[in-house]
Amino acid sequence: MFTLIRIELFKIFSKWRTYIGFIAIAALIPLIEIAMLIQKERTFDWITRSMGQSFIFVGNFLNTYFVSYLIINSIALHIPFLITLVAGDLLAGEATAGTYRMLLTRPVSRFKVVTSKFAAGLIYANMLVFWLALISMGLGYILFGTGELIVSKSAQIIIFERTDVIWRFVLAYGYAALCMCVVTSVAFFFSSLVENAIGPIITTMAIIIVFLIISAIDIDFFQKLKPFLFTSYMLNWQSFFDSPVDIDSIIKAVLVLAGHIAVLYTATLLIFKRKDILT
Amino acid sequence: MKKVIYLIILLFTAAMAQIKDPDIILNNVKKASERVKDYQANVRIKLDIPFIKAPDSDAKIYFKAPDKMHIESKTFALLPKEGMDFSPAALLKGNYTAIYVKEEMIDGIKASVVKVIPNNEKSEVILSTLWIDQKTSTIRKVETTAKVNGTFVIELKYDGKNQYNLPSNLVFTFNADRISLPKAFSDNNTEGAKKKEIKSRQGRVYITYTNYIINKGISDSIFEKKK
Repeated sequence: MFTLIRIELFKIFSKWRTYIGFIAIAALIPLIEIAMLIQKERTFDWITRSMGQSFIFVGNFLNTYFVSYLIINSIALHIPFLITLVAGDLLAGEATAGTYRMLLTRPVSRFKVVTSKFAAGLIYANMLVFWLALISMGLGYILFGTGELIVSKSAQIIIFERTDVIWRFVLAYGYAALCMCVVTSVAFFFSSLVENAIGPIITTMAIIIVFLIISAIDIDFFQKLKPFLFTSYMLNWQSFFDSPVDIDSIIKAVLVLAGHIAVLYTATLLIFKRKDILT
Repeated sequence: MKKVIYLIILLFTAAMAQIKDPDIILNNVKKASERVKDYQANVRIKLDIPFIKAPDSDAKIYFKAPDKMHIESKTFALLPKEGMDFSPAALLKGNYTAIYVKEEMIDGIKASVVKVIPNNEKSEVILSTLWIDQKTSTIRKVETTAKVNGTFVIELKYDGKNQYNLPSNLVFTFNADRISLPKAFSDNNTEGAKKKEIKSRQGRVYITYTNYIINKGISDSIFEKKK
């Protein structure tokens, strides 16, 4: 199985489109951080303006933690589109290339083929999130150093000590990786149904957009649907930056997302096992 | 008999004059504070504000008469703007009208209550009420109503460890109604997240002063704003 996964990873990283996500993150994040470096304390104007009349802020709040938090908050909902570019191509790409028959006539079961491709897709998703974390925090550390993290929520401002931040980021990025695995699962599922990668890529993007819109509209009927949409749980990484951390909501979200992955993987497996390869 | 009556009247008059003249009371306070040319101290700050959650923090305060102040911290500090400079020079700036109100017990100490109204209409402060311990010529409590920041109260406690009667503790109480929270960059609009309601808008900041170094000289360069 590990050999199959290695082969699938080789195939993934042999395609130029795989690097779009990495290049996009590598270009965008330094741009954001350099802009903040130029702005310096004015980055905080929107926090300190309203409170500056009553309080004096002392300390290095413009640090890698704040910058990384701002970045993950800004692009958490956009990273999925970079995931679909690869995940949507995992199965459909074989059909497009005409390599299905060659692949499936080998003495490797369909179960192993699907599982190895799925695992490779998950590894890619995790690598992309790791890359995001590395660039955000690594470059942020070089440019801004460390300090306390100030988080502005709707009814509260929370300041975390610098020693109380790293574990939150580790868990938050871990949770974000789980969310990207769900996106991978969705794209992978659609990839098993068609013979062209464009379909699953666009379909997955469309599903994410529609679900996000449904979640945002404040109508009772849609609010009842909200707990069943995986996109409703994609921002739960913010819960790691609460004090205290709402463990119950995080556990519930993790179980829902893990459930999505399990169901979609199982569905893909069942479909692919019965699929007639005609191309 | 006449001598006794004269003595009683003399003592009574002396007592009345000592207590009732607000300008004398305030001048005594100013004179006592003028002994402090500069000081530096370590401070520990504890915030008890409903809409701010922050751990206790440490900072160092530098003060140089009449009104230079500098605060620095190795980690972070969030301090109330008003009340950091509790010197009488800062509290009794400009021309004002002082009115003696009464005597009141505060923390077991008899304090004279004096109201101070700035004569300048453009002054930020509308009215200040000071509770002054005449024995030590120190301010025990200040209640100020300002145009922008509303009403806030500063309570000063003294442990008597320094001869210049600088406070060991300061409690700053304010009404946070006028403070608007910045726009959230994470609305906590996550599924299952519990919505928080902030019921009370009164905030308190507790500041503990230790390790005073008084009148040892502080360079002006410390107070220059770093760019």
